[in-house]
Amino acid sequence: MFEGLFYLFVFPGLAFQVFCGLAFEWVDRKLLARFQRRVGPQWYQPLADLIKLFSKEDLLPTGASGWVATILPLISLAAVLTAGLYIPVAGFTPFSFEGDLIVIVFLMGIPTLAYYLAGMTSVGIYSILGGARSLLQYFSYEVPLLLAFSGPAILSGSWSVAEILKSQAELGPFILFQPVGFCLAIAGLIGKLKRDPLDIPKAKSEVVAGSLTEFSGGKLAFWHLTMDIQAIVGIFLLINLFFGMPLGISPWINTLIFSGEVLLVIFILSASSSIFARLRIDQLASLGWRILVPVGIIQLLFVILMGV
Amino acid sequence: MFEKMLNRTYRWAQKNSLWVLPFNTGGCNGCDIEILDLLTPRYDVERMGILAEASPRHADVLLCTGPVTYQTRDAIWQIYSQMPSPKWVVAVGSCGATGGVFTGSDTVLGGVDKVLPVDLYIPGCPVRPEAIIAGLIKLQEKIVKGAENG
Repeated sequence: MFEGLFYLFVFPGLAFQVFCGLAFEWVDRKLLARFQRRVGPQWYQPLADLIKLFSKEDLLPTGASGWVATILPLISLAAVLTAGLYIPVAGFTPFSFEGDLIVIVFLMGIPTLAYYLAGMTSVGIYSILGGARSLLQYFSYEVPLLLAFSGPAILSGSWSVAEILKSQAELGPFILFQPVGFCLAIAGLIGKLKRDPLDIPKAKSEVVAGSLTEFSGGKLAFWHLTMDIQAIVGIFLLINLFFGMPLGISPWINTLIFSGEVLLVIFILSASSSIFARLRIDQLASLGWRILVPVGIIQLLFVILMGV
Repeated sequence: MFEKMLNRTYRWAQKNSLWVLPFNTGGCNGCDIEILDLLTPRYDVERMGILAEASPRHADVLLCTGPVTYQTRDAIWQIYSQMPSPKWVVAVGSCGATGGVFTGSDTVLGGVDKVLPVDLYIPGCPVRPEAIIAGLIKLQEKIVKGAENG
């Protein structure tokens, strides 16, 4: 009983993920600033932003449904926190079961739907545009992302993240066998997190802030927290699927390797958001369906042939 | 006791995370270009937690540049009322403070304080980026002391 609550609220659960999410936001913003030769924010910046948003007034335009707007960020926050529970952190996982990869992918899709609904409930023009764009973007990146995730699952013969991690300890990191799959997964993750090359739904110069244009105060704070935790959960998932680690030596060494891999993936994400400019929505759709999906299918065929 | 601590935490957070909405109330665009300088690597205000936001509902500070004309008077009031409180208004440039060289024109109402409660005036024509940074730091000190509009 006590152990279960500890898992839920402290270690792989709420407190740990909130801490990791805020730390991710700081590292990401700092790296981005350093890439642009700026100084970058202080270490407490994400925390100060979050507290400030909670201290502000909560406004909604007339005609917007208040309780729907309140419940959407809470649902998406709950979904990403639940997804984070099933992902092994440095090889430690309390709730693993066969097929949890599918559950994680499903739970990680909920914030996108909630983001779309948030755009539709708050009646501004920019929010509706942002919501529609987020759904269009979802159809472009989700298929390559799923193709990329199914590569490791097929190679290890299991749809459980912990099992995939275990078979990587025997076979070697899967990024050596499927580097293309890893690149697809990074592209899909950038699309899922609405980060810079693919920040079409919340493009500041086009649609103000996308679906979240009309949100303020605590609701906006919950949305920001959801985005951060979604990012960190996605990064953890990517590491478990593609990098892996030698299991069973010492938890400290595992933690060290895991943190190094997390920093590496954050570095890749920040670098790609500082290098590339934003795509148009039609460019993204054609990139997704004309290039990424065929490449993903070829990678998958390669994995199946190699696995046999 | 608890409430006092909460208030102090809130003021600390508000001080360290000022999200700014630049708005041209009818000026010559000179001050707007100087405001854009703040985001460049040379001045980089993100190190003080200041970010430029595009939506008034996310913003804490309304940076008004230029004199208020009769045409922008309603728009500026609408934008101000869309911002969630606590919120602050900063008038940037000589025109924002008094109307500047446009005083007396039959399309110009005057400084920003004719329409909105202004917390801080930053003079200059155009304002230097260093002056804007100094002004925003003064605003942060004001926030810590607890002065608040709106």
